[in-house]
Amino acid sequence: MIVVAIVIVVLLIIGIGIYNSLIGKKNQVANAFSAIDVMLKKRFDLLPNLIETVKQYTTYEGDILSKVVELRSKAGSSNLSDHQKLDIDKQLSSGVRNLMLTVENYPDLKANQNFLNLQTTWTESEEQIAAARRNYNAAVTDYNDAIMMFPGSIFAGMLNYQQIAVLANTEEERKNISAKELFNS
Amino acid sequence: MDIQSNTSLQTILVELEGQRRLVSGLKTRSFLLAGGGVAFIAGGIYSGVVPVSILGGILLIVGIYFLSKAGKHFDEYRHAFKHQVIAAALKSIDQSMEIDYHSGISEQDFISSQLFSQRPDRYSSQDQIYGTAGKTTFSFSEVHAEYKTVTQTKNGRQEHWHTILKGIVFCADFNKHFHGVTIVRPKDMGSALGAWISEKIPLFSASSSDFVKLESPEFNKKFLTYSTDQVEARYILTPAMMERLCNLDDNSRYTISVSFIGSQVFIAFPLDKDYFEPPVFKSLLDPKSLNEDLEVVRFMYGIIAELDLNTRIWTKQ
Repeated sequence: MIVVAIVIVVLLIIGIGIYNSLIGKKNQVANAFSAIDVMLKKRFDLLPNLIETVKQYTTYEGDILSKVVELRSKAGSSNLSDHQKLDIDKQLSSGVRNLMLTVENYPDLKANQNFLNLQTTWTESEEQIAAARRNYNAAVTDYNDAIMMFPGSIFAGMLNYQQIAVLANTEEERKNISAKELFNS
Repeated sequence: MDIQSNTSLQTILVELEGQRRLVSGLKTRSFLLAGGGVAFIAGGIYSGVVPVSILGGILLIVGIYFLSKAGKHFDEYRHAFKHQVIAAALKSIDQSMEIDYHSGISEQDFISSQLFSQRPDRYSSQDQIYGTAGKTTFSFSEVHAEYKTVTQTKNGRQEHWHTILKGIVFCADFNKHFHGVTIVRPKDMGSALGAWISEKIPLFSASSSDFVKLESPEFNKKFLTYSTDQVEARYILTPAMMERLCNLDDNSRYTISVSFIGSQVFIAFPLDKDYFEPPVFKSLLDPKSLNEDLEVVRFMYGIIAELDLNTRIWTKQ
């Protein structure tokens, strides 16, 4: 009788442990996404200043600039889903990269301290977002492993936990940003 | 730099070679006299002839006198070697490099670098070399840190000393801002088990730093990473940085430890021998020993390029 009770108690403790760890891992994923969110917000906040500075100096880059302005207003709207935000960020990255390339034609802008500061902050935000995305992917992989492997899979089935897709690698995550490419290409 | 083609350095070496010969001559003489003295004393006691023992005593005293004289000359020679030879050789690699052989990384800095979890009970550091390569300031010093364990045996208390690090600690200004602490330590059975337990059962996690699971299999095979901030750890350890640290480790004989703390990067290289010490019984004009020293300096200096620390495209300039 006592042995059975001990076995039940031990199984119960193990069960609670696995259940809690699954919940913990799921929260970790949500937490990791909010880290990306914070970084995206920081990056979107840089845009008004960047656009204003570029506007003052450039005259012929209307197309590129208006695309960035449009993306900025999209980014500003409050009812965006997580994936929409990531999508806007992706488009913004390439838009701003094009914008930075055109700077070559404007020596005054290239020498502007405010612009240089914005440029370095932008590069930094790019790396920070890459880091946050990698952190998210690590949390997702951890979570997916936990819900697919035995015995976690039993609890995951009961809780109706589904697999989450990892974020596709962006260009920045695959290679390190080189100063030469950014400033001289 | 080719030592032989550097004429000013060769002139210094020729001058110092005279001092080296004096020291080695004195040392040889003192060893012979002291050795002879001990033999005479032993012989005198064994045969019961007192004057032989007295003669042995005198020889021993003279030997010790020569040894102390050799010690004084050696200090002068060592000082000249470091100030003139090493300092000149450093300048040939980079004009900004200097050596301060009395000082090293302080014990407090060594502990707060968190390169090793064990606190040292006996610590010494010397031969600090410092300079600036491009925008990056750096320094490195020889360190010998040990900890003590005490065991109770039948014969009483016995102390054992264990090495934490005998080698070089390199420190440089990192090219990105960060606030937390990220530590990269060699992977061994014990630490791997500890990391596994703290990952699976967070309650047992002893430190405030969490294990960071990174994507590079090669990096994970060599190292375990801990950080107070998961995102920041990945901001510092980009895929490129992980690859560079693996390369750096491949070029070192023993696995390195790395820590990122207080806007700086610290790297510990365990080594087998002391560097930047002048030869006594080997000729100074033989470029081999100096070349070995310079190889270490070049390697340390090369870390800045290897880790790309001069790329300042982020907010830290």
